Amino acid sequence: MTPLGPELRRIVGDAHVLERASQLLAYRSDALPGLRRAPALAVFPGARDELIAVVRALAAHGAPFVARGAGTGLSGGALADGVTLLGLHRLKRILALDPEARTATVEPGVVNALLTRAAAPHGLHYAPDPSSQAACTIGGNVAENAGGPHCLKYGVTLDHVLRATVVLPDGEVVILDRGDEAPGYDLLGAFIGSEGCFGVVADVTVRLTPDPERVITLLADFTTVRAAADATSRIIAAGILPAALELMDRPTIEAVESSIYAAGYPRDAAAVLLVEVDGAAAGLDDDAAAVEALCRAAGARGVRTATDPAERARLWQGRKKAFGAMGRVAPHLVVQDAVVPRTRLAELLDTIAAIGARHRVRICNVFHAGDGNLHPNIPYDAHDADEAARVHAAMGEVMAACIAAGGTITGEHGVGLDKLPYMERLFTADTLDAMCALRDVFDPARRANPGKVVPVHSCREWHAAPAARGLP
Amino acid sequence: MSADHRPATVEALAALVRARAGAPASASGARRGLRIAGAATWMDAGHPVREAEHLSLGAFRGIEAYTPADLTISVGAATTLAELDAATAAHGQWCPLLPWGDDHGTVGATIATATTGPFAERLGRPRQLVLGVECVDGTGRIVRAGGRVVKNVAGFDLTRAVTGAWGTLAVITRLHLRLRARPAVDVTLAVACPATEAATSRLAAFTRGPLAPLGVVAVEAADAAAIGAPGATHLVRLGGNAALVREARTAVGSLGAVTELEAAAWSTIRARLAPAPRLTGWRWDALASRLRDRFDPARILNPGLLGDPT
Ligand SMILES: Cc1cc2nc3c(=O)[nH]c(=O)nc-3n(C[C@H](O)[C@H](O)[C@H](O)COP(=O)(O)OP(=O)(O)OC[C@H]3O[C@@H](n4cnc5c(N)ncnc54)[C@H](O)[C@@H]3O)c2cc1C
Repeated sequence: MTPLGPELRRIVGDAHVLERASQLLAYRSDALPGLRRAPALAVFPGARDELIAVVRALAAHGAPFVARGAGTGLSGGALADGVTLLGLHRLKRILALDPEARTATVEPGVVNALLTRAAAPHGLHYAPDPSSQAACTIGGNVAENAGGPHCLKYGVTLDHVLRATVVLPDGEVVILDRGDEAPGYDLLGAFIGSEGCFGVVADVTVRLTPDPERVITLLADFTTVRAAADATSRIIAAGILPAALELMDRPTIEAVESSIYAAGYPRDAAAVLLVEVDGAAAGLDDDAAAVEALCRAAGARGVRTATDPAERARLWQGRKKAFGAMGRVAPHLVVQDAVVPRTRLAELLDTIAAIGARHRVRICNVFHAGDGNLHPNIPYDAHDADEAARVHAAMGEVMAACIAAGGTITGEHGVGLDKLPYMERLFTADTLDAMCALRDVFDPARRANPGKVVPVHSCREWHAAPAARGLP
Repeated sequence: MSADHRPATVEALAALVRARAGAPASASGARRGLRIAGAATWMDAGHPVREAEHLSLGAFRGIEAYTPADLTISVGAATTLAELDAATAAHGQWCPLLPWGDDHGTVGATIATATTGPFAERLGRPRQLVLGVECVDGTGRIVRAGGRVVKNVAGFDLTRAVTGAWGTLAVITRLHLRLRARPAVDVTLAVACPATEAATSRLAAFTRGPLAPLGVVAVEAADAAAIGAPGATHLVRLGGNAALVREARTAVGSLGAVTELEAAAWSTIRARLAPAPRLTGWRWDALASRLRDRFDPARILNPGLLGDPT
C-alpha cells in the first residue's frame, strides 16, 4: 500500500498536505488554553470529492483522524494527538440559498457570519450566533451543537439543521434528515453535537430565519449579582421570551470598560443584564416595558433602552467583545461552560464567587442567563504552574457545584478533552456505555476523533475482542 | 387490556429485559418480545408486533419534579397528556407538545413516536421539547441521558436517538420536558377562507409573516360541525401579548369571515384529525439496522413494529 502522506498528496495536491513539524505548529491547539497536541499530518481537501477520497484513504490505512473547522472550539475537540488532522476550511462554498423555502445548503467550512451575510439581502439570517461567529464554521457548529445569545428564543443548531450529508469514517456517504419524507430514526438529531466522533459533515442544509420587524435592546444595571439573577428568573417566569438575556458581572464590566471595546457600561454596577426583545412591531413596546418593570422590581438602578441600530450595537459591543477584553487582562483565558436550572442561578453565582476567592483566581461571568448557561471565565497565565493549578482546581469545583445543583457540565462548548474527567460524575456507567454504543453505530472502528467525549474505559465492549464489535 | 408485566421500578424493568436479552432464542418460538404500552391506546400501525408479551408502564405515572420558574418538568412516561396539561396550566404554563390524538395518550408514547401536532412548527417538535430521558434499552442498560436544564451538550445525544424510535431501542420510563408560559392572550378563530388561489396565498403570506399564528389547520365541514364552526374552515390560533394579538386578529379578519371559538376546539380537532400512524416504509438503511442491533440485538422491544429485519 502507498504510504498515507503520498496518497493524500495525490488526492489534494502537495500544497494541501502538511507533514513537517514546523508547518504543523499552528494546529497544535484550538481555543482551549493550556492544552497542546501536535498532529502527525494535516490534510486540507478543496472539494467534496477530495474529502470523500481522503476519508476513504484514511479508512484504507486504518488511520485515526480529527476533523477541524476554524479551531475556535473551547474544549480541545479539534486537537489531533499524533494522528491526521482533516482541515475543512477550504470547503467554503454556499451551495444553494433558497429565500422562498428559507433554507441554505452550505459546505462545512462556511463561516457562520458569512452565511448570515449572504442571507441578509433576502431579509433572512442564520439564527444560531455563537460569539465566535466571525470565525467559526457551520461544520464546527453542527459538531458542537453550538448556541449563542439569541438561542434563548430561536433555539440552538439542532433546531436549525434540516439535513446533512455525512462522510462516515469508513468512507460511506450518508444523508441524514429529520425523517419528514420517510419515517426513520432521528440519526440527524443523534449526529448533531457528536463532536466530530461520528463522521465528517460534507454539507448541511439549514433553516434561515426572517429578520425581526423590530428590535429593542435594554441594559439594566444592578448593585448585586443576586438582583440581576433574580430579574432573569422573573422575566423567564413572566412568560416573556426575549431574543437574548445576557448577564455580565463586575469583573467582566471592568475588563470591557478598561479595554478599547468600552461600551459605556456603568463601572460601579455589580452586574448588568442585556435584554433584547424582537419580532413583530405590534406589541413589542409592551414587552420591553414589561422587561423594564420586572428589572426595576428586582432592584435595577437604571434601565437604558435602545431601538436604533447604532445605539443597540453599542450596548452589544461590550458583550460581543467581552472575551477579547478579558483576553487582554492576562495571556490566557479559560472560557468555561456549564448549565444550571434557572432558579439556581443566583445561588450558583455566589458559590462561584466563593470558589474563586478560595483559589485566588479572578472569575469573570458573562453568560446566557436566560438559559441558565453559565460562562465563568478565568484570565490567567498558563505558564505559571501555580496559577494554572489553582485555575484547574477552581474549575473542578465549579463543575461539581453545577452538577450538584442539578445542572450539566457543558451547554454549548462540548466535552472534547477538557470535560472528560467530569463525565463519570455526571453519567452512570450504563449511560456512558450506551453512548459508546451510539458512537459504534457511526464509527465502529472509533477512528474519528479518538479519545474524545466519552472516557475510553467507559466503553465495556471496547475491551472485548475486536471480533465482538464486528471488526476484522 | 391486561398486562403480562408491570414492573414497579426501573431496576425491575431492566432485570426483566436483561433476562430476555441474555436468553437464547427458543426454537419453539417462546414469546420473549415485549410490547410496550403507555396508555395502551396505541395502534399496531400496520406492523403487528410479533411474539410479544404486554409490558405496562403504569407504575411510571405522575409529575415527579416541577419548579415552575425553571420552566421544566419531570414526569413518568405513563403520565397522560391531560395530566401534564393540568399540572402546568395551574402555573400558567404548558408543554406545547399538543400532538395529534387525544389527551388520554401518554407523554412517553408521544415522545417515543415523536408525534407532532398543529403547533409544532412554532412551539417545538418532540425532539425540541424533550430535555432528557430515563430509559431501559434492549440490552437492559438503564440510561439517564440529558437532564433538567434547557441547554445540554454533555455526551452523545441518546435523548434524540430514542425520541421517535417507537420503543425499538429503549423503553422510556421518565422524561424531562421543556415548558413555556402560555401566551398572555390566546385566541382561537375559525376563518372561512374562500377556496380561491388568491385567498390561499394571502393565508400563506400571513402564516409566514411577522404576525404568524401559533398554528393553522384546514378543517372540513364534518369536523367543523363538531367544534361549532359554520362549514369548512381554517382553524387559527393566535398567541402573544394583547397588542400583538389585536393586530394579528385584524389581519385574520381580512382573510375571511371570522368566528371566535373556545381553545377547547383544538382538543376536538387534534383527536378528530389525527392521521393514521405513518409507519410504513420505515427507513432500514445500514445505520438504522446498526442502531437497532446496538441497542436491542435480541429484538426484545416491540419486535416487528417497524417492519425491521430480524
Ligand atoms: C471567543 C469565543 C466565543 C465563543 N462563543 C461561543 C458561543 O457563544 N456559543 C457556542 O456554542 N460556542 C462558542 N464558542 C466555541 C466555538 O466557537 C464553537 O464550538 C464552534 O462551533 C466551533 O466551530 P469551529 O469551526 O471553530 O470548530 P473546531 O474548533 O475546528 O472544531 C470543533 C469540533 O468540531 C469538529 N468538527 C469541525 N468541523 C467538522 C466537520 N465538518 N465535521 C465533523 N466534525 C467537525 C472537530 O472535530 C471538533 O471536535 C466560542 C469560542 C470562542 C473562541
